[in-house]
Amino acid sequence: MSFLFSLAFKNLSRYRRRTLITAGALAVGLIFFIFLDGWLQGAERESERNIIWYESGSAKVMTSEYLEDLKSMPLKHAIEDPDAVEQVLEGTGVTTTRRTVFAGEIFYGEGSLYVKVVAVDPQTDGKIYRLSETVTEGRYLEPDEQGVVLGEWLAQDLGIEVGEEITIRTRTRYGAFQTFDLVVVGVLNSPNPMINKGTAFIPLSLADEFLEMEGAVTELTLYFPEWQNPEDRIQSLQNRLSVLPGITVESWKDLARDFLMIAQAKSAGSSILLILVFIIAAVGISNTMLMAVYERVREIGMMRAMGMKDGAIRTTFLFEAGGIGLIGAVIGVGLGVVLNWLMVTRGIDMTALMGQMDIGYRVTGVFYSAWHPQAIVGGFVFGVIAAMLFSIIPSSRALKMEITDCLRYE
Amino acid sequence: MIKVEKVTKDYTVGQTVVHALRGVSLSIEKGEFLSIAGPSGSGKTTLLNLIGCLDKATSGEIYIAEEAVSTKNKKELALLRRQRLGFVFQSFNLIPVLTAYENVSFALSLLGVNGAEIKKRTYDLLEEVGLKGMETRLPGELSGGQQQRVAVARALIKEPDMVLADEPTANLDSDTGHEILDLMVDLNKKHGTTFVFSTHDQMVMDYARRLVKLHDGQVTSDEKRGS
Repeated sequence: MSFLFSLAFKNLSRYRRRTLITAGALAVGLIFFIFLDGWLQGAERESERNIIWYESGSAKVMTSEYLEDLKSMPLKHAIEDPDAVEQVLEGTGVTTTRRTVFAGEIFYGEGSLYVKVVAVDPQTDGKIYRLSETVTEGRYLEPDEQGVVLGEWLAQDLGIEVGEEITIRTRTRYGAFQTFDLVVVGVLNSPNPMINKGTAFIPLSLADEFLEMEGAVTELTLYFPEWQNPEDRIQSLQNRLSVLPGITVESWKDLARDFLMIAQAKSAGSSILLILVFIIAAVGISNTMLMAVYERVREIGMMRAMGMKDGAIRTTFLFEAGGIGLIGAVIGVGLGVVLNWLMVTRGIDMTALMGQMDIGYRVTGVFYSAWHPQAIVGGFVFGVIAAMLFSIIPSSRALKMEITDCLRYE
Repeated sequence: MIKVEKVTKDYTVGQTVVHALRGVSLSIEKGEFLSIAGPSGSGKTTLLNLIGCLDKATSGEIYIAEEAVSTKNKKELALLRRQRLGFVFQSFNLIPVLTAYENVSFALSLLGVNGAEIKKRTYDLLEEVGLKGMETRLPGELSGGQQQRVAVARALIKEPDMVLADEPTANLDSDTGHEILDLMVDLNKKHGTTFVFSTHDQMVMDYARRLVKLHDGQVTSDEKRGS
């Protein structure tokens, strides 16, 4: 076996340029794979975090009716007794904050825009959400004030600045039209584009008064540390909440289903790239090995004449192709890791390129990559194994020839 | 030791059937130094390939140490070649990336001989064929004659029953051809290894102690000579 290994290694240096070109093609494929996979992973992880910090917390408690009609945000299906919910959740280690979310139309100057209005409790909201940290102009909300904080893109679309007044028109929970004037106290630029592009934040007490909520809220946001795998926790909370008819708890994963589907689709894109690497390996290695095999038909004939087993000859080519794969994988993974490291530490500022474009990920500004060791190790192993596999066909073709034909081969 | 009985070999080239051998019978004893001679197309390489178990006869039988070759499968034939037969080719067929030492020792590696023994036997034989000091040279750094010496050493290193050489001097100049033939004669005498080589070169025929002439796939003469 050591002889076969040594022969394969020496044959690698026999066609140095060809070896390097083939390995280089494989390396380029792996670099792209590691780069793209790391980037998608980074965007995915950051999006998940930004959903938790700015959009939905770990989970939300709502009424079943409200959840069924979530898009139209029907106030009539609010939680009538949020205190009762909080009592049930006491001792579970879950942090809660109350919110009322409703649809409204903002009027400013001669224009108007339909927006999502989120009424928050400024005293408890910060226990879960990090919105106050993202204020770029003015300040965050204070309890009971007639103020509003707008997402930056929304403020830009309205052409409004801090200190100016807007009017919000909506319907109360009983369906009556209601308008109220608010002063813009701050503008926030959250890393979650969903917040920036069409959301206005007002104090909960204001919504309670203007919307005739009478203490009811549309949701209670929950936070628990094991948000990445919320299934067990959700099940146990759901069991506890079963004492309150019509109250349900929905994890962030279910609430952000749109994002998860996009992330899944983009992961499929990364798999396509892996297939591309596979094709590069297939074409490059097959071609290189085919040339190597046909240039060595007489040599193969001599080895077979001397009684070398076909399996041993095939193994030599397998090692040789594996060597090309190994060189390609070392270069590809090495450079891929360096590139990924740069992307993890420095990222790429996509602000100029993307502007207010929504690509599904809850990320804006600088996109950072993440480390995905399974993909890196997988890419490495895959590169070597794929290379070895693709040497089988050409070597088998040569081994099908008669020994005498091999010896005569020109 | 080797018995060739009424062997025929037909090839089909397009629509035409070529009768390369037409009922050849021959016996080769241990230690012989035999040349199969004849013009191009007479069937000498075909006969050598059949004796070397590199090809299968259309009819007839070849016995090596009283075992019929036609009954053996591919793996058994490979084992037989590995253990009992050595080959020397017209164009040397050395592995260009291996040194002279490695090209020779490779034959022993196939037999699973241990490293220390491989080393001793290979160095001894390379010295015997006049390549002492050239062990680390690659084939490309050796002359044609030196390369053929390596090929002869590779064929002999495993101490086979028989060495088959197909036109071993055809790619060498006359002086080098003499050197290689002298070497083969010496090794034949010293080791008792049977040498069978094909040629159409009169000089090579002159070295043979037995000369079998072929013409159109048939033995036309079988002449034994003194040593």
